[in-house]
Amino acid sequence: MFIFSLCAACLFFSMLLPSGSDAADIGNCLMCHKYPGLSRIDENGKFRLMYVNEDIFNNSVHAKVKCEGCHPDIQKIPHEPAKKVDCLTQCHIIEPSSEKKFSHKDVAESLAASVHAKVDKKGNPKSYPDDIPTCKNCHENPLYRPLSFFKRVRPGISDVALGRCRVCHKSDEFIFRFYNHVTTRLHKIRNPKNIAEVCARCHDDEKIVARHNLGTRAVFSYGETFHGKAARFLDERIPDCLDCHVKRGESVHQMLSYENPNSITHINNRGRICATTDCHPSATPQMANYKVHAEFNKEQSPLQYYFQVFFIVLTGGTLLPLMGLLFLDLFRRLFPNAVIKRSKSTNGKTS
Amino acid sequence: MEKHLKIKIKNGKKYFYKFTAIQRAQHITIATCVIVLVLTGMPLKFHNAFWAPYLYALFGGIKVAPVVHKLAGSVLMLLFMFHLIYIGYSIVVDMILPLKRKKQLRVVTVIKSLVTHPIMPSLKDVTDIIDLLKYYLFLTDKRPAGAKFTWKEKFDYWAPFWGIVIMVSTGIVMWQKEFVTQFLPGYVINFALIAHSDEAVLAALFLFIWHFYNVHFSTSVFPMGTVFITGYLPEHLMVEEHYEYYQKVMKAAGLEDEILPPDASAATASEKEPKTTRIISVSDLPPVS
Repeated sequence: MFIFSLCAACLFFSMLLPSGSDAADIGNCLMCHKYPGLSRIDENGKFRLMYVNEDIFNNSVHAKVKCEGCHPDIQKIPHEPAKKVDCLTQCHIIEPSSEKKFSHKDVAESLAASVHAKVDKKGNPKSYPDDIPTCKNCHENPLYRPLSFFKRVRPGISDVALGRCRVCHKSDEFIFRFYNHVTTRLHKIRNPKNIAEVCARCHDDEKIVARHNLGTRAVFSYGETFHGKAARFLDERIPDCLDCHVKRGESVHQMLSYENPNSITHINNRGRICATTDCHPSATPQMANYKVHAEFNKEQSPLQYYFQVFFIVLTGGTLLPLMGLLFLDLFRRLFPNAVIKRSKSTNGKTS
Repeated sequence: MEKHLKIKIKNGKKYFYKFTAIQRAQHITIATCVIVLVLTGMPLKFHNAFWAPYLYALFGGIKVAPVVHKLAGSVLMLLFMFHLIYIGYSIVVDMILPLKRKKQLRVVTVIKSLVTHPIMPSLKDVTDIIDLLKYYLFLTDKRPAGAKFTWKEKFDYWAPFWGIVIMVSTGIVMWQKEFVTQFLPGYVINFALIAHSDEAVLAALFLFIWHFYNVHFSTSVFPMGTVFITGYLPEHLMVEEHYEYYQKVMKAAGLEDEILPPDASAATASEKEPKTTRIISVSDLPPVS
């Protein structure tokens, strides 16, 4: 009841305010959803915020998709609680190369053939199906992140680039949209640090790692390598999870298990990961046997573990006696003339 | 070869020649390299620390700091190679040629000269450590009478000597990983990383606590020891740390009458030290002739 009264109030106030509706908002959903306070407690007692920031949404990759494109169950205003968004729904936009309605079904097919499929090789459902990622575990509604080199270090659209588009294309709205569409695919949507953080949601969760026998906290161990550390220091060029776990030129959704002979991480293919032109072109397959995901614990890598223990013992064994001597020296200097038994030659007198 | 006085007297104070210009140049080079290497390496070792990104940014961040690290490492490697040549040259000029002139050049005499060189560890170091512990525990009022190089200085020399071998070799493995893994398995890089980073922490703590305390922060030398710049050690430090060698040098210079008693350093530390440390500075010392 509360939500209906809130919508009615929104409707009233929206008549008084200038319309901020976007081309995608034909259903005038923002009439209510533009208000930051639009929220409710759902049946499970969970706080739900239904506010849509118009500026953020209009700069997102889904800005041209109508609200009903993802929420087809909503047919009238005010509406009943909406169902969860199904990313495989056919959108109300036409894919320009095929001129067919667009959907993410191809992505779902890639995902179904990957290590993240809900069923195993024999078609049996995997245990703990809730741990298997779906679209929204990895993706929000991403913002366009256009190439910045035309503007040196400033992100955003370059007037220089737009000038080139205008040679042929007259509609600024079209130019803006396709410039973003193309450039955002020419590089990573997220920087390596953010990619690692997305994977860490599951792959650093100790319970998930244990119940799927994954053997390592993948992002933690990646973070201990130079690649991981450079990613942490916001290096954009450093390889992240996707660079090594997906064969070059293939969809990142088609990530395969290292046991799969078609996988780039399979022992026979691994050498090709490092030896790409942009990374370590002269690398041999041996280099790829570097244990990227070694945690140096006794169970996973005993040799490395004891090698590390050796250095800890060496450090402690060297520094602790020296620190002891240092403190004894400091203490002795507080009482330079104190002694239990004086030597005969000086008899404790200083000259 | 440079000619130096063994003892310089300036304003009535004695200074004892300890390090040659080339030794001091090597020391300043290694010190600079190590400080730069620690500052550009520790942010990677402790990448989760709050200060790591700021310290790294000071050296140009992820794009520049690794280059600075490799540059400093390369200089350190070249210095080490130079030092090995310097050792070889010193052995020839200071040991082999004099033995040849005396017509005593034999394998046994060369080995004997090497083993008894002042920088080599000896049995006296063990007795000196025991005597020092006795002094620390108030069992005696006498410090051990140190030789030209005390056990602390020998430790300060030999620990970084082998430390550099480990740091440079593992650093090269990680830097030239494509080349190294032509012959060795990839997991060698894992071992190199462990050795490089753990040995670095050991070396940094050793140098910045133990070495700095002995040569700069101890009450006898605070706020700073100057021998690494001037090459000359003040008399009160000679008495405190190198009494056996001090007596030898004084006798050789014909100054037996002016030899201070072994506990003079305690008096100096408590009474004369403030005046002495104020007076000692690089500019006050006579130029090396």
